[in-house]
Amino acid sequence: MKATPQQQAQKTPGIFSLLRPYSGLIGLLILFALISNGLNLWLPRLIGQGIDAFEHNSFSFPNMIVSFVSVAFVIFVFSLLQGVVQTYASEKVARDLRTRIAERISVQNFTFIENTTPAKLLTNLTSDVDSIKLFVSQAIVSIVSSLFIIIGASVLLLSINWKLGLMIIAIIPIIGGAFYLVLRRVKVLFKRSREVIDWLNKVINESILGAALIRVINSQFLEYEKFFKASQESRDIGLTILRLFAWLIPIIVFTANIAGLSILVLGGHFVVKGSMSIGEFAAFNSYLALLIFPILVIGFMSNVIAQATASYNRIVLVLEAKDPAATGVVDQSLEGAVEVKDLSLRFGQKYALKDINFKVEPGARVAIIGPTAAGKTQLLYLLTGLTIPESGQVLYDHRPISAYQPEAFYKQIGFVFQDSILFNLSIRENIAFSDTVTDESLEKAIRTAELSEFVNSLPNGLDTKVSERGLSLSGGQKQRIMLARALALDPKILLLDDFTARVDLQTEARILNNISRSYPGMTTISVTQKIAAVQHYSQLILLMQGEVLAKGTHQELMESSPEYVQIFNSQQSTSNYEL
Amino acid sequence: MNYELKNADRSAEKVSTWAGLKGLLKLVEQERKTLLLALCAILVNAFLNLIGPLLIGYTIDHYIMQKNFKGVPLYAGILLGLYMIAFIASYFQTKLMGGVGQRIIFELRNSIFGKIQQLPLAFFNANKAGDLISRVNNDTDKLSQFFSQSLMQFVGTIVMMIGSGIFLLVIHPELGLATLVPALFILIFTKAISPWVKYRNKRNLESTGAMSGEIQESLNNFKVIIAFNRRDYFREKFEQANTDNYKTAIRSGLANMLFMPVFGLFSSIAQLVVLAFGIYLIMQGNFSVGLLVSYLAYATNFYNPLRQLAALWTSLQVALAGWERITQILALQNNLLTLSAGTAENNGHSPVLEFRNVHFGYPGGYEILHHINFSLEAGKTYALVGPTGGGKTTTAAMMARLYDPLEGEVLLDGKDIRTYTDEERTAKIGYILQDPFLFSGTVKENMLYHNNLYAGFTDEQFKVVLEEAKLEGLLTTFDQGLETPVTSSGDSLSIGQKQLIAFMRAVLRKPKILILDEATANIDTITEQLLGQILDNLAKDTTQVIIAHRLNTIENADEIFFINSGEVVRAGSFSEAVSRLMEGKRSS
Repeated sequence: MKATPQQQAQKTPGIFSLLRPYSGLIGLLILFALISNGLNLWLPRLIGQGIDAFEHNSFSFPNMIVSFVSVAFVIFVFSLLQGVVQTYASEKVARDLRTRIAERISVQNFTFIENTTPAKLLTNLTSDVDSIKLFVSQAIVSIVSSLFIIIGASVLLLSINWKLGLMIIAIIPIIGGAFYLVLRRVKVLFKRSREVIDWLNKVINESILGAALIRVINSQFLEYEKFFKASQESRDIGLTILRLFAWLIPIIVFTANIAGLSILVLGGHFVVKGSMSIGEFAAFNSYLALLIFPILVIGFMSNVIAQATASYNRIVLVLEAKDPAATGVVDQSLEGAVEVKDLSLRFGQKYALKDINFKVEPGARVAIIGPTAAGKTQLLYLLTGLTIPESGQVLYDHRPISAYQPEAFYKQIGFVFQDSILFNLSIRENIAFSDTVTDESLEKAIRTAELSEFVNSLPNGLDTKVSERGLSLSGGQKQRIMLARALALDPKILLLDDFTARVDLQTEARILNNISRSYPGMTTISVTQKIAAVQHYSQLILLMQGEVLAKGTHQELMESSPEYVQIFNSQQSTSNYEL
Repeated sequence: MNYELKNADRSAEKVSTWAGLKGLLKLVEQERKTLLLALCAILVNAFLNLIGPLLIGYTIDHYIMQKNFKGVPLYAGILLGLYMIAFIASYFQTKLMGGVGQRIIFELRNSIFGKIQQLPLAFFNANKAGDLISRVNNDTDKLSQFFSQSLMQFVGTIVMMIGSGIFLLVIHPELGLATLVPALFILIFTKAISPWVKYRNKRNLESTGAMSGEIQESLNNFKVIIAFNRRDYFREKFEQANTDNYKTAIRSGLANMLFMPVFGLFSSIAQLVVLAFGIYLIMQGNFSVGLLVSYLAYATNFYNPLRQLAALWTSLQVALAGWERITQILALQNNLLTLSAGTAENNGHSPVLEFRNVHFGYPGGYEILHHINFSLEAGKTYALVGPTGGGKTTTAAMMARLYDPLEGEVLLDGKDIRTYTDEERTAKIGYILQDPFLFSGTVKENMLYHNNLYAGFTDEQFKVVLEEAKLEGLLTTFDQGLETPVTSSGDSLSIGQKQLIAFMRAVLRKPKILILDEATANIDTITEQLLGQILDNLAKDTTQVIIAHRLNTIENADEIFFINSGEVVRAGSFSEAVSRLMEGKRSS
């Protein structure tokens, strides 16, 4: 695994460790940058020499033009190469990093995704990677070549005239100090501004996802005001940052001008005294122009590095997330027996589920009923191993879930979720989502879920695309597609989470009938609100506030559980119509 | 109106830089005064910076070359004074121009958000949520980067360039022209490749949007990915989007980097021209060494900004690509306008809601509702039943004017529903949607979302309100009661709990017509009985429209409409409705 080099590095590896696999590319990049920038330093020298040669009457047009043009052309070639390598290197680093993050995410369990939140992972994969991309494409080259130019120019300045050179080099700490002071204050503001952007994004996201509600309640203006507040805050922070930078730039320009002035006065003095040639004097001016820009670049790039480091630290959290517990090896097919032993689950101090116990025989049909927020869905998640219980066990054929190899296990479990989850794929791809689905099992699942007629009514049939949030389908159609997706696995055990909530009665009755006919011997555990549909099941489990209040057959519960009777009565008036 | 942005993209592809720029410039109009001041600061600053080399050149020619140091301190003093004024001008230049940038992006951000708020639901149905979010977030961010960072430099460098250009031409027209010739090549080159560069950037923005859409879809649906053994689906889909993004990013990156080396080459050539031509002129006796030194400075002043301009040009192209995607949204219009009040038919006994010969179909699809006629009386309870996909939700959505009919009209209190303002209409109609949506905050904040009826109520007073509405019993399912936190991704609450909040939110608004679209589908039947009591407790003249599959939720309806295959039929009695449901041919 790729994890090993990181483990050697022990603590959070710095952002530069990220570049190790690309050392060849980065080395090439730095080489090209140094060549093109180094040659750039040469040009002022050529100019100075040209002027001096002219002063000494040894000037030759062809010589100068040839040397100048060849240097300029070599610079062109190398800066072109530098640009190409820079683009490739940064995009490659970004792509590989994204792949690594996505691979890490893909092996994580459901709890990890929920706790880290999809929104944060999205940020990791997009803007965090982008800031690292910026670091690779700009910071590395800029800093290396800037340092090179600063040192190179300084050496050349000193070699021409060390006294004047020292005076000019004195501007470096002045500009650097100004930068340091401003950036130190701006950094806090940058952090605050990121927070405000997150705030803005939250308002935008909610206003788009909740568009229907907002239009029903006519709260567009309220949302606008929410947005406006965040937007205003963002503008104000921007203006504060600006005010700081508004000081920085004039200070730098002024310092540079003063340096130019000292060249004029002091350099002029040297020229008058004859200790400096006029060509050297001109070169001094050119080098000054060269010197300013790299100092600015280093200042700005230090900020890019700081941001990239912060991003990288966030990414490392994902990359170094613990592996989910080692998976089991059992891959034999299930009989379909399920046992829940002393199962508890807690959110904070509050128990969502407490000491749940029940047994399901292979092929049996069991229903879980109970009021809203009783913990029914949580129980199903525990049954499928999507979440891990705080204590207790779920046994399949007398073995805990963890003993099974996940692929072999999930292949045999069909789960119909309560919320409609469809991918932006064709209906066929949505139903045959697992890759073990054959044409035959697909066909059977569609028939059982009573989807054939609907599918046939579509011009493109099964190949019709489902739009992203499933907007073009009715609630019942979505639920039936979800059911077909679970059935297409030909599962040994079917878990249903209130799947008929949005399906009409007649269809529901037919579907339930179809299931027991087409999938005999399948263990079914069904969370439902409607007793009538599950009255004849071999076991009904009444769940309330996270605890099993009663379990048994319909008859038994009618005799022993007043709560069950109450629920039954609440549906009684019309239940004679329900089947 | 076609609200689909994705397909509209193709036709709008060929918009020139200038056309895009003009649109951007419109945003600046309000800032004219500040811009003028800023321009003054820029001009002063540029002029002073330009006069500097001239004075230096003069000092070199008249004093240093003459081996006479006497005048040098005087000119140095003048220069120092100029630099100090430039210092102040430069401060105001940055502050004023940057301020303009910040305010423009502020306005722009607000107008996009405002526009999105104006658009009807059809717009959100026609576009992927992920893509819309990316447009509003990422594309505005690109523009924001341009306005907050690049605009200032942009104007500054352009002024500097023009100034240097003028000085070059004034000092020596022939040499000036020769110096500027390489710039002409740069101009031609830039003009030639700009559309291509912009196109590349736009493609890259698109693939970035697609990638984040892919990530969002997979991560939000991760439990299905796990339960159906398709971790590879996420990896593959992501890898595909990632590779595509990599390709477009390389292409746009290469396009963007091309400017720099070319600009560098031409500016070196320009320096060579100055040097060679300048020395030739000095040999001819038409020029001086001092002038040559200042001339070289002007050439640098002209070409250095040009090089910066190359970097800025790239960010301008990126900004323009984002701007184009944003203007697509800004150009859309709300198609649900409020009509001027028509002839009021309200003579006291018109039905509270009436459908007259209504036809409807979603854009680009089949007709979903055909020739619908029915009316609802005040104070009665109506049930809409029928098979899934029969048109119940669509009918309900039209009652709340989420869409307008293609033909026919919907009357509210005897008046065309389109003549009511949004406030009037939404105050009368309460609608509990099939998918409950909650904002991040607390349960209480969500219950009172945009509800001014109880503004300024103390906790005690609000408790009384809840008791009167019989709502307090529903709060027991929330472990921290009213203060239970809600996150918008919201897996902390079950669907049933979300439905309860949505229910309470609608009831607390006291609407005249309350539409429940399978609003209690995931709520247990005992709690549902409680909801029934709450509904009975509503004001006597409240009209209820209930869509449900559970018969016990609809058995108390005064009247039942059977909706199937886009037709609405009045069922005479409850048992007739049931038998229709049981026997009627299902078509969905």
